[in-house]
Amino acid sequence: MPTRRDLVRALEEAAGAKNVLWRPEDLAVYEFDGTIERSTPHAVVLPGTTEEVAKVVRACNRFGVPITPRGAGTGLSGGSVPAKRGVVIGTGRMRQIIEIDKQNRLAVVEPGVPNLELSKAAAPFGLFYAPDPSSQQACTIGGNVAENAGGPHCLALGVTQNHVLGIEIVTADGDITWLGGRVSDSFGYDLRGIFIGSEGTLGVATKVVVRLVPLPASVITLLAVFDTVQQASETVSTIISAGMIPAAMEMMDRLTLQAAEAGLQCGYPPDAGAVLLVELDGLPEVIDSQAVRVRAECLERGAVEVRLASTQRERELLWRGRKGAIPSLGRLAPNYYILDGVVPRSKLVDVMEVVSAVSERYGIPIANVFHAGDGNLHPLVLFDERVPGAKERVLAAGGEIMKACVDAGGALSGEHGIGAEKRMFMPWLYNETDIENMERVRLVFGNAGQFNPCKLLPTGTGCGEMAHQAAAIRAAGPDAYV
Amino acid sequence: MASEKPLWPLLADAPSDADLSRCVHCGLCLNACPTYLITGLEVESPRGRIHMAKLVSDGRSELTASIQAHWELCLQCRACEAICPSGVPYGRIQEGARAQLDAAAPVGKNARRIRKFVLRNVVARPRVLATVVAPARWYANTRARGLVRRLLRGRLRVIESQLPHRVGAPFRATTGGTDADRADGVLFTGCVMGELFGNVHRATERVYERAGIRLSAAAGQGCCGALHAHDGDLEFARRLARKNIAALERTTGPIVVNSAGCGAAMKEYGDLLANDEPWARRAQAFGARVKDASELLSPTQGGAFAGTVAYQDACHLVHAQRIKDGPRALLASLEGCEMIETPGADVCCGAAGIYSLVQPAMSAELRKRKSDQFAAAMPAVIVTANPGCHMQYEAAVREAGIQARVMHLMEVLDEAESDHGAG
Repeated sequence: MPTRRDLVRALEEAAGAKNVLWRPEDLAVYEFDGTIERSTPHAVVLPGTTEEVAKVVRACNRFGVPITPRGAGTGLSGGSVPAKRGVVIGTGRMRQIIEIDKQNRLAVVEPGVPNLELSKAAAPFGLFYAPDPSSQQACTIGGNVAENAGGPHCLALGVTQNHVLGIEIVTADGDITWLGGRVSDSFGYDLRGIFIGSEGTLGVATKVVVRLVPLPASVITLLAVFDTVQQASETVSTIISAGMIPAAMEMMDRLTLQAAEAGLQCGYPPDAGAVLLVELDGLPEVIDSQAVRVRAECLERGAVEVRLASTQRERELLWRGRKGAIPSLGRLAPNYYILDGVVPRSKLVDVMEVVSAVSERYGIPIANVFHAGDGNLHPLVLFDERVPGAKERVLAAGGEIMKACVDAGGALSGEHGIGAEKRMFMPWLYNETDIENMERVRLVFGNAGQFNPCKLLPTGTGCGEMAHQAAAIRAAGPDAYV
Repeated sequence: MASEKPLWPLLADAPSDADLSRCVHCGLCLNACPTYLITGLEVESPRGRIHMAKLVSDGRSELTASIQAHWELCLQCRACEAICPSGVPYGRIQEGARAQLDAAAPVGKNARRIRKFVLRNVVARPRVLATVVAPARWYANTRARGLVRRLLRGRLRVIESQLPHRVGAPFRATTGGTDADRADGVLFTGCVMGELFGNVHRATERVYERAGIRLSAAAGQGCCGALHAHDGDLEFARRLARKNIAALERTTGPIVVNSAGCGAAMKEYGDLLANDEPWARRAQAFGARVKDASELLSPTQGGAFAGTVAYQDACHLVHAQRIKDGPRALLASLEGCEMIETPGADVCCGAAGIYSLVQPAMSAELRKRKSDQFAAAMPAVIVTANPGCHMQYEAAVREAGIQARVMHLMEVLDEAESDHGAG
């Protein structure tokens, strides 16, 4: 029977000895992402080229071990946590921006390129990459593709799905192939579209062709301060109903404001009940008049103050707070469980009431920061995982909120992906046939259960709950796969 | 085998649970970390290093040679700390982690012992340090230097390339200069700074004099202890801190520091001595008096300095003290001064105290990034605010093969003002 040592040796042959991690204490660093999921891989490998990725995948297949692709490990659904252990393929060494094509407004990048780095590199050409997840300074394009990542500015411009033209992938069989290309093709099966948001279950992206869009001619950023979350929620619908689509429209509640202000000193009013951060972009003459209307709508709905960022620096500061808001909650509690429900905008107010009712009933604080314009909620359930039973209660509270989103006609994820724990909620939205069909898609790409198992779909054996596997893993000894 | 008890060799100075649990492992710090940028490995990232401390703290892993290696590759530049939304005190955690290595390093015990001995008995002892530095000063100023340089190999070559091209007379703590009783503030003289960069101290005195602030180099002060703390010798760092506090408590006004590393450490004396009443309170009060030399000057002082200037942030100025715009504003206010922002000006140069000597390979990689930037931007002057960086940039300039002067911010201001006065 082959041992873990044989596996490591095969990986070292495929990608070079210094690019393989195998010591337990090194592997433990790859046991998490931005969530509370935990599972330690048997080995981590960082290939440098597409060919090396293919070799690694084939080696893993020979040994029959699961593979989990990983970018920067900033995900918020456990997507890059190796649920059934096995091998983590990291893209940390594949971070070249291969080409920026100004005329065709596209870029070809390796999967490990950080999202923000791409926009910075495109800026001299007057372009940027539109999806801007809050973790954009760290998260990678490859990870964005896997999770179909969004971000504040996806309100007007759409999510990753709308900005990727082609992907070079290594399939679960270890074959290299292109899905899509440098131009948008609109005929036949959209395999590119299927791959985006597949959460690493169909293969590893090794090159990505992304669309770049022109930097806006001008930008106005407003901060509207409200006494209650309800007032702010109502204002969101009013603004959209008035026929405006801001570039971004973000909401933060009191808990979030306090944490963000403490952590990032961005000039937020910590005593406010809620704020709306609204950004307008376009031609100055258009957005100037829009800004006047947004301001009026906010005041009409009870805003106590509407602030306008007058300098680029003030604008950056307002966004710095929003982008760092979620991790800043680490100041209030050692752990948070982040949800990613989507609701129709018209149901925002109702579902937010459910969120606060759940918080009260469970006696657990829940902070809220979210893409209000999209109806994409991010309730953050704050807790301390060291308290016995806390995690179970938190998961139960989260489940109730997700159910409320679905009941309101919404969805399970807006941008973080389904990942590990939310896949059990999939039957709320899909029947058996739907899920079977999704299973078949996996098989088409050659994945017979070894590529990022226990993610996205509620099927698959031996997944269990990751955190509870720790004891079994230890008992199995260092040379066992399971 | 996993256990419930922390596996710290030195519980007293171990990273605290409160500090460690601040990290929500969001990963936003990754690309701020120079060693992650270069290796692409999460084991060489701040989040990874914090998690390793958690493993030891939770009894999940012994302090292994591998963990030691990952911690020791950390530059302690604190870029991660500055951008952490959750406010993880990474510098403190890393110093606590180093204290564990100081108590029981799995490997390289002898090298550590030698290092500790040198830091305690050479760097922190003014007279010994003066004796050691004297030949280096003589050598730096001799003409034979170009010849000798070619013969050197290995670490000696690294050290040689970092020596400034001219080393002025030393500047030591005395009661000379402005009388302590009549002075408006204190100039902190430090260890290496006073021996190798006496010119910077003299420039600082003059610049402050012109700004109407008389500084005394009050006696009794000595090494700040930053190098010792970064190396995990917290006990000795505390001893040095108490000595400086006792010596400078007798003075009034700001304590002006022109070495970013020292300034950061001294502002944080309160942290260092937090469990040491009654020193804790005295340390807090002391820390509040500490100012970086750029903090008390205003851009309105005027002066002319012709040429292109690339300001490079010292890590412990920009990340630890969060001073970024002030020094740039001072430079920009000089007539004829053309500022160049090189990419990654706020990314560590790899000097990092004694890092360039103990981690020469990673240090050289980071220096190479700087020298590539310098070769592309061709600045006439590279400005910094810390002795380690200063020496690393001397080496980077040689590596880039360009003609550029490396100057301390205070030297630039001094030259600008005196030229202005003369013209």
